[in-house]
Amino acid sequence: MSTDYTYDEEGYLWPFFVFTLTLIITLPLTYILVKRSRDPAASFPRIQTNFKHKHTDIVNTLRKKEKRKDRKLWLILAVAIGWVVMGYMLVLIQNTEAPSQKLWNPYDILGISESSTEKQIKSAYRKLSLKFHPDKAKPDAAKNETMDDLNARYVEISKAHQALTDEEVRNNYIQYGNPDGKQGYSINIALPKAIVSDGNGKYVVLLYSALFGILLPYLVGSWWYGTLRRSKEGVLMESSNRLFREYKDNIDEGGVIGALSTGQEYDELFKGDKADSGLSKVESRILAEGKLSPLAGGLSVKDKEKLEDLESGPQRKALALLWAYLGRIELDDPVLEKAKFAVAPIAEALNKSFTAISLAYMNTAPLLSSYYASQLLIQALPPKSSPLLQLPHFTPATVKAVDGDSKVHTNVQDFMDRPDAKRRSLVVGKGLLTDEQYREAVSVAKQLPFFRVAKAFFKVTGERFILPSSLVTLVVKGRFVPPGSENVPEIEPLDLEDIDPAEDDLDALLGRKVKKQIGKDEKGRPIYEAGSDELISAPLAASPYFARDHSPRWHVFLTDSKQGRVAVPPFTFAQFDRPILEADGKTPTFAMQTLKAQFQAPPQAGHYTFVMHVVCDSYVGLDTKMEVTLIVEEASKAAEMEQVVEDEISEPEEDSLAGIMHVAKGGSSKELKKREAKEEESDDESGTDLEGDDASETNTDTEEEDN
Amino acid sequence: MFDINWRGLLLPLAYLAVLTGTFVTFSTVYRRRKAFQSANLAPWFGPHLQRNIYLSLLHMEPEEGSEKAPKIPDSVIRAALLRRAVEDINRIIQIRTAKAACSSLLQRGSVGDDLWQRFQRAEKEMEDELRDVVMEANALVPGWGQIIFQSANEIAANKVLRDRLDEIEAQADSEKEWWEKRRAAIQTEFMKELDNESEKSHSRPTTSSGGGDDEPVLVDGSTPSTPSGGSKKKKGKK
Repeated sequence: MSTDYTYDEEGYLWPFFVFTLTLIITLPLTYILVKRSRDPAASFPRIQTNFKHKHTDIVNTLRKKEKRKDRKLWLILAVAIGWVVMGYMLVLIQNTEAPSQKLWNPYDILGISESSTEKQIKSAYRKLSLKFHPDKAKPDAAKNETMDDLNARYVEISKAHQALTDEEVRNNYIQYGNPDGKQGYSINIALPKAIVSDGNGKYVVLLYSALFGILLPYLVGSWWYGTLRRSKEGVLMESSNRLFREYKDNIDEGGVIGALSTGQEYDELFKGDKADSGLSKVESRILAEGKLSPLAGGLSVKDKEKLEDLESGPQRKALALLWAYLGRIELDDPVLEKAKFAVAPIAEALNKSFTAISLAYMNTAPLLSSYYASQLLIQALPPKSSPLLQLPHFTPATVKAVDGDSKVHTNVQDFMDRPDAKRRSLVVGKGLLTDEQYREAVSVAKQLPFFRVAKAFFKVTGERFILPSSLVTLVVKGRFVPPGSENVPEIEPLDLEDIDPAEDDLDALLGRKVKKQIGKDEKGRPIYEAGSDELISAPLAASPYFARDHSPRWHVFLTDSKQGRVAVPPFTFAQFDRPILEADGKTPTFAMQTLKAQFQAPPQAGHYTFVMHVVCDSYVGLDTKMEVTLIVEEASKAAEMEQVVEDEISEPEEDSLAGIMHVAKGGSSKELKKREAKEEESDDESGTDLEGDDASETNTDTEEEDN
Repeated sequence: MFDINWRGLLLPLAYLAVLTGTFVTFSTVYRRRKAFQSANLAPWFGPHLQRNIYLSLLHMEPEEGSEKAPKIPDSVIRAALLRRAVEDINRIIQIRTAKAACSSLLQRGSVGDDLWQRFQRAEKEMEDELRDVVMEANALVPGWGQIIFQSANEIAANKVLRDRLDEIEAQADSEKEWWEKRRAAIQTEFMKELDNESEKSHSRPTTSSGGGDDEPVLVDGSTPSTPSGGSKKKKGKK
């Protein structure tokens, strides 16, 4: 028995070792690579349109370039090398013969089948021994045999015979697979001998110290400084610091645009003489007289002053280009055009950081400005411009034809609410839209995901009252009703309810998703409700000028209108629980969506009136703003009410809560009763039911002006 | 006692020496760079113009030719100090509101460490500045130090209000102009409508072709009421 460790001298083991090691590294990398190269935007529905503007190809190239940037060259290289190494190892494994350790099989040696009887064994042995006995057989020179070979062969034959006839030898064979008894075993290390052989030692040490002394600290260091370099929102830390300095309590959208131009990202984009080239041209264009606004870029006087106060450099160029982008100004220069479309996505990324900063101050105005700035950047609209410009083919002239000389812009909903003939007569004509363009615009407008709030209320899961400091859920019920939708179905009253899961339904209480079983198929297997467990994303923003694919998000937050402060910070929704579009990807389903946000109730009892904002970050003018009232009851009063219920329970015939409430209030239907406690909170004074009269405050009324 | 094999120990000792040497070098270089960086951070606030004015008034250099520095009236110096205090109030308000936001953003990793360092330095500078202003005020008029910031605060608040007012008033002209235009447009529209109506009322008795009008058979008595209603509306608009 030998237990010496031997290194892999024949080179048949280490390929296995290397193969396994490479596999462990390569497989995850390959997974990451495949996952990355799959276009994430492809899984989103899109708003169907054939609209192309003059620079669609520039926008598309920029979008593609961004996607390519995501693919890392080193990753591709590492994966390729990994697979090559693995392939080579496989070839090595295939080609190197492992030292054969064939199972010792006496039947094979005697040349008989395993079912042979003792008699057959004996006769076979006799025949072979006659033939191969060293005394009889002569070494065959042609086969290069010696006397020793003959002896060995004969020994094998007699061993085989013994193994099948002799009891003791047979036992040895059965137990250890060899008639001689237990064999020694050896442990091999799957490393090539070369590693430990003399003279190579120093290279191995060198490699080792390079790995642990240089590569490891380098990787850790670059990771650490990488995290320090970027803020949580993914922008450069220095940009984020500058944005913090730019924050002002009364900043407006134009101010936000100005602040965003301070980003360090622009220093890198406009390096060297790129910072000044064409700057004067851009500035003269944006400061020229505009069609809808005094300045073509849509700047206010304040923004113009800010631009002119800047020293010329990357920031000034970025700001000028941003205004050119927002004003959709023709620059007649391919380089400048490209830069114009490149600055907007950067600004949008920076704006996320600005949103976080304004959120830290908890002031409403800057937060809203920041969200509005995001809308403007994605839609390429200057501040205070007409939301109608979001629709394809709409030009300032068309907007003017719709707005007349009213100061309040018609928004997309109002425009689409007009009868088709009326709006057609307004915008179709010479210098305006052609019939085809009009149809395109209307088709896009009818796909815009306008989240129309139907009801918003507060509740505490499992309670009938909201007690001080309890965990309140703000439930917003609403439907995606694109502007100008016809045949919008009535709201099912049941859809507006938010029913608590049963107390024993742990899955639902803990937020685990359970597929709803809706039936059984013919083989008795359950059929689950389609799509009930996956969230549905809204279609990618229709933003022909924005050089990124953007998935729209909705931010829901509560503000205190008296103090202008944010009361409950935004909850962001990008995915919804019910389908938004039918299978054709165009027709809205009008399914009732539920948005929930949890926060802590105030520690004192009382009525709290908040303004609820539902802001979409991708479309201008599709926001909702409404009042909601949170009623927090004294703990003692709630206990009193509870007491009443307890008393009622003792009555024999009443067995359900609904029944008790029914008796207690002496009123109408059971269903109604059950929800009463919750509904009085929102319905009483805020009049939250918007669906009917469409009274959201953002739908600025233009009626009086038209008279 | 023990026979130490110094030669054999040489290698491990060298190893230790190299190791500690690396660490020490790294730490000193790192610290020095950090210190250098934080020393070179840009200040939070720009140059303090009001303070500079005050100080230059206080230490006027004598003009060429004359020996004595020109005499600055007390009221001017006091006004300059008050201006300086007003600017300090603006800065202190900025710092107070930014402090909570900055620290929470720092914790979340949304802003960098150097911003926080700059912020803290600015805070300390502001404290010194306030103390300085109080001392100067007391030196000019005994007891003024206690109230100078109160008056400065009033001035600052007043300025904010006035700026806002000016901004709103600046819009007045353009708004007025727009409204005049709009009123004219509405007026002409009404006049046109009126003309149309009167034309129609003239034509109606002779030809019965009222087009798609839903009031083809109209009693004459009701026709004048429509224009008068219109004019009433117009008056209401005005």
